[in-house]
Amino acid sequence: MNDEAKNGTIAVTPPPVYSRLFSVWYRHFRVYTKNLVSNGLPPFIEPLFFLAGVGLGLGNYVGLIDGAEYINFLAAGVIVPPAMFTSAYECTFGTFIRLEFDKVYDGMISASITIYDLLIGEMLFAGTKSLFFSFAVLTVVSAFGLIPSPVAVLCPLVGFMTGLMFAALSLFITSFVKNINHFNFYFTGLLTPMFFFSGIIFPLKDLPAPLRIAAEFLPLTHSASLMRSLCFGRFPVRLAFDLAYMALFTAVFGALAIRMLKKRILQ
Amino acid sequence: MTGSNFSQSRKKNSFTDDHRPGIGETAIAVNSVSKSFKELRAVKNVSFSVPRGACFGLLGPNGAGKTTMMKMLYGKSPRDNPEPGQIRVFGYDPLDNELEIKQVSGIVPQDDNLDVELSVIQNLMIYARFYGIKKSDAGERIDYLLEFMELTEKSRSRIRELSGGMRRRLIIARALINNPMLLVLDEPTTGLDPQVRHLIWDKLRKLRSDGVTILLTTHYMEEAFQLCDRLMIMHLGQTIMEGAPADLVRDNIERFVLEIYDSNCGEIAVSKNYRIEKSGGSRTLLYSDRIAVLEKLTEKFCSGGFYLRQSNLEDVFMKATGRDLNE
Repeated sequence: MNDEAKNGTIAVTPPPVYSRLFSVWYRHFRVYTKNLVSNGLPPFIEPLFFLAGVGLGLGNYVGLIDGAEYINFLAAGVIVPPAMFTSAYECTFGTFIRLEFDKVYDGMISASITIYDLLIGEMLFAGTKSLFFSFAVLTVVSAFGLIPSPVAVLCPLVGFMTGLMFAALSLFITSFVKNINHFNFYFTGLLTPMFFFSGIIFPLKDLPAPLRIAAEFLPLTHSASLMRSLCFGRFPVRLAFDLAYMALFTAVFGALAIRMLKKRILQ
Repeated sequence: MTGSNFSQSRKKNSFTDDHRPGIGETAIAVNSVSKSFKELRAVKNVSFSVPRGACFGLLGPNGAGKTTMMKMLYGKSPRDNPEPGQIRVFGYDPLDNELEIKQVSGIVPQDDNLDVELSVIQNLMIYARFYGIKKSDAGERIDYLLEFMELTEKSRSRIRELSGGMRRRLIIARALINNPMLLVLDEPTTGLDPQVRHLIWDKLRKLRSDGVTILLTTHYMEEAFQLCDRLMIMHLGQTIMEGAPADLVRDNIERFVLEIYDSNCGEIAVSKNYRIEKSGGSRTLLYSDRIAVLEKLTEKFCSGGFYLRQSNLEDVFMKATGRDLNE
């Protein structure tokens, strides 16, 4: 302090990190809730179509899966994809527009916000959206009595983790995308296959071994595994592995994304 | 006049009052700083310092390194490191303490980066939060700033509904939300009509008289002359000259200039009595310290084909940075 005073340094107290993260989160929250009906209603409606179309229609031709009716198996599965997609959209198209078109990030980091606050706040908001989406789907499928275990109230937390994980991956993708149309490769090439091969609409155990092993590397597989365990109140050992995978994946891609976006945003 | 109670309001909405400038202290100290982008050396070994409460202008053609120099001050663009160069803003190094610097600075960027998804007042409310300003304090401050920048009627408008001049005023209001000690403006009046430009000049003068340190870039020599205590002319990343505007004109250029638009009107002989500068096209400028010499010359030219005037900052600028395009 004395040294500083000698150099003519003034005393300044920037807001603490939690306050900065919250302010970034709050900016996104504010923008999102401006169109509450158009943004908030779809997650409640979508699972209805899914359950009716796939569950009732296809379900008649499917037998029991691990002792459960197909519609129950599917109901636990459909909580997962909206968490992935909402976070992926937010951190690809959303992030790209804020970064390149609206220049919102430049405005934000001119205030008392670091690049880390900006990107971690962004991930936390994507996680929050995913939490809300899985909550919405859980409400709907529970209303139909399709969720056997009360432990399922924890599903939105898995939704939050799923959101963080895909925010990290999506920001990483965004960090090197120069043309907004290139996100189509990410959605069609990576997210859509994940939707089909992560144990959401059918169990992975009957797949040929190479596919089954490949599926274990997909992040969504672990979200689906966790989500289904909570819905059925079963807790096999692999849950620890699922959790560890998600934590590690989020940390690695989050760090890479921040490192690369930092280079892109700071000149 | 609106905004005449800025000092009072400053006390009422005190965010940074404890740090009001002491006279003679340094706000910005830049010491042989460089910045490279791959092959391009955008800023080369630049040094300058700005005392607290002063208005300092950076002039230079596009690509001179002005914006980069500014961005290095608040961490948007990290300077070349390790290199001996040093930057201190209120004693803080932007490489280590960008938050401390940004907490007491207001940034007005060249590009419009308002949050188009939010209304005018929401833009300011959200921005206040970035500085950790309490909601009740922010509300009061925002009312005051909207009035100061004459935007009160637009407080509920969407950003897309604002004209260019209103957006610019809003960005300046946004930069003032934390009651900054330093205001950094990158071409604050480019593309604005004269009315808005003069309004912004008035506000900047008011802020300066309240003790806010101002650093600005501009392409308008009149703006620089009117607002700045000191100027630095940059060219190709280097400092060409620095000084008070009037001194720069006095020390670097002849006092009078005869502009000749139509050289077909008469011969221009080479003479040691004046200095000849060719501009693009058919315009020729003759510089001399003695107005009589130039007046005598005009006798041979047809009326309307010439213009005799005092030389100004633009003449100095052109002399320093050349008349060719720099792009």
